[in-house]
Amino acid sequence: MKQKEQRKDDILFVGVDLGTSRSSISASNGTKKWNESYVGWPKDFIAAKVVGKSILFGSEALQNRLSLDLYRPLERGVIKEGIERNEEAVKELIGYLIQLAGPKEDQKIYAIVGVPADAMKVNQIAIKKAVSGFVDSVMVVSAPFAAAYGLNLLGNSLIIDIGAGTVDFCMMHGTIPDNDDQKAILTAGDYIDEQLFSYLIEKYPNSRFNRNMVRQFKETHSFVGDSSETIKVEIPVEGKPLNHDITNEMRRACESILPAIIETTSEMIAKFDPEFQIKIKNNIILSGGGSKIRGIDNYIKDALKEFGDCDVRCVEDPLFVVSDGAMLLAKDIPEKYWAEM
Amino acid sequence: MEILKYLRKDSRFRQKIHKKIFLDNLRIMGKQPYQTLKKKPITYKGISPILLTLIIILLGYTVYHNYITLQGEKTLVSSVIESNNSEVHSQIQAPHVQRDSLKFLSPMVNPEISIAKVFGLKVKRIMIDPGHGGSDPGTSGIIGTKEKNVALDIAKRLKSRLERYNYEVIMTRQEDEAVSLQKRVELANSSMADLFISIHLNYLPTRPANIIETYYFGLSFDEEVLKLAEKENTDSPYGHSEFKKILEKVNSTMKYEESYRLADSIQRSLFTNIKRIDSEVMDFGIKRAPFVVLLGVEMPSVLVEVSCLSNKVEELRLNTWNYREKIAHYIEIGILNYLRNKGALTHEAKRTEEG
Repeated sequence: MKQKEQRKDDILFVGVDLGTSRSSISASNGTKKWNESYVGWPKDFIAAKVVGKSILFGSEALQNRLSLDLYRPLERGVIKEGIERNEEAVKELIGYLIQLAGPKEDQKIYAIVGVPADAMKVNQIAIKKAVSGFVDSVMVVSAPFAAAYGLNLLGNSLIIDIGAGTVDFCMMHGTIPDNDDQKAILTAGDYIDEQLFSYLIEKYPNSRFNRNMVRQFKETHSFVGDSSETIKVEIPVEGKPLNHDITNEMRRACESILPAIIETTSEMIAKFDPEFQIKIKNNIILSGGGSKIRGIDNYIKDALKEFGDCDVRCVEDPLFVVSDGAMLLAKDIPEKYWAEM
Repeated sequence: MEILKYLRKDSRFRQKIHKKIFLDNLRIMGKQPYQTLKKKPITYKGISPILLTLIIILLGYTVYHNYITLQGEKTLVSSVIESNNSEVHSQIQAPHVQRDSLKFLSPMVNPEISIAKVFGLKVKRIMIDPGHGGSDPGTSGIIGTKEKNVALDIAKRLKSRLERYNYEVIMTRQEDEAVSLQKRVELANSSMADLFISIHLNYLPTRPANIIETYYFGLSFDEEVLKLAEKENTDSPYGHSEFKKILEKVNSTMKYEESYRLADSIQRSLFTNIKRIDSEVMDFGIKRAPFVVLLGVEMPSVLVEVSCLSNKVEELRLNTWNYREKIAHYIEIGILNYLRNKGALTHEAKRTEEG
């Protein structure tokens, strides 16, 4: 017992969720932090003087984006390929997150990183490589599985993690999920942004807005189904800020990801043992940023009605559900396994 | 009591999860569990099932070896006798997976020891050959997708992927242009490439199936393979004497065995990964074939039939960049696995692979 307590003090266990849009970290010392997944370096020495830092992260980087070479280095939960600096940006982002977790000097760090359910081996290796420079030992697990572990939903449940790059599904049925129990689809949060952007361009061709503004509209006002509220946002037209009604466009854009989610959900439930299908249907959990879309739980519930009664719930803390689960898992994994990694 | 039972069960389940995660992560890094899982001392009782399994494998191997030797002789004879019976053979045969054939067909070649590995030969330059081009479109799909375009796109993607590991990657064509087979061979030989990978797409007129197969340099007595070779060799300009010289190179054991290994690695990676996307894709394995482009080049060479344009669903998939990128990625994995096994992975590539 004494040894165990000593071990816990010596080691900082962290769970990391590297998201396309936001990344979060949960640490065994109680720290929980998140950051937008942006990394920026000043474009030149004048920019460096203006921003006053050699590297900027998250919203700070976004605010100063005109002075920066800005990177959003993750795509569908893995390091975006093709641009060399993306790898460097991911490393910096991880270093920053771990620094936010506040490890003590010389404290050992063991980390578990959540990756998309269908991440390929090379992507997993790339993530491990990026993290390994900052921690003493690292493992990767499927992100929805980490969420299920954290929520203690290891038996008869379906976790749907709606992120920016992917929607990950993980069926838990009292055993370790294998490839058939996990699936990822690509129509996720970023797809909503694209749709909303194109709808708004079509409706308000003279108004000046960019993708970042559209993303902010989504994060503040997203909803599906019926709503009595009218959504009005301020967009400049010829330099003057004017109110624009975006209610219908917002609904259309948010609902555009639902057919694929509903189809995959029913497909995954249908291939499951019929005896346990009812239990799973009554335990559908939505997590990730997408679970914050107003009315999404009821919409999915209604759409699945034809398959019988079901219960769809959203987690309370979608931003940290994967990192919390990964951290718990890191704490539970025996030391002998960590030592051999 | 019930609660205690539940807790014990839950604890056992969690232990299984932890072990699985640990093993999965070791597998990702290509490692084997070292000490953690080695606990039990070896006893006679414990070892007896292993001994029994070994005996069964040994017996099975002997029987299989005899069977293959007989079959090889039978195929050789029957292919000569039945060479005119083309109607029957025009139907595609059942998957012909030939992974272990090297052991039986070439007693000179020991698949465990590679000559290239023994001499520490490194790979620095890779030549990618997108099949067809220009006035020669190769095969075409139902909605008009042309083999030459898909092959070129995949080749370009593969090039940029391999360049990340500091390999020098050269292509036989960068654009939609006609390059003769002789020119391709000359380009590969004059550039002193260490590997040659030709990218093609298949077409099955009689079946809607999607198949993946990889050819490596060598002679074949399979009629279907010979027909395909005839099709791919249509613009071959070689005369008889030149061709004889080329054929003499068939005995180059190192090229033969390295081509076999490369073909095997690419086929494994491509099929295993595509299977996750298309559960009905068929593994037609690796085969020897006398393609001019494979025979002429002096380095280990393979021709990969990465997909099948006669399958409509597959054709639609091939029209998305994402799928073509995936194919390039799987070929890349196959090449890197081959290089790693032969100890010829560059420093940069090794670091990336090992994390």
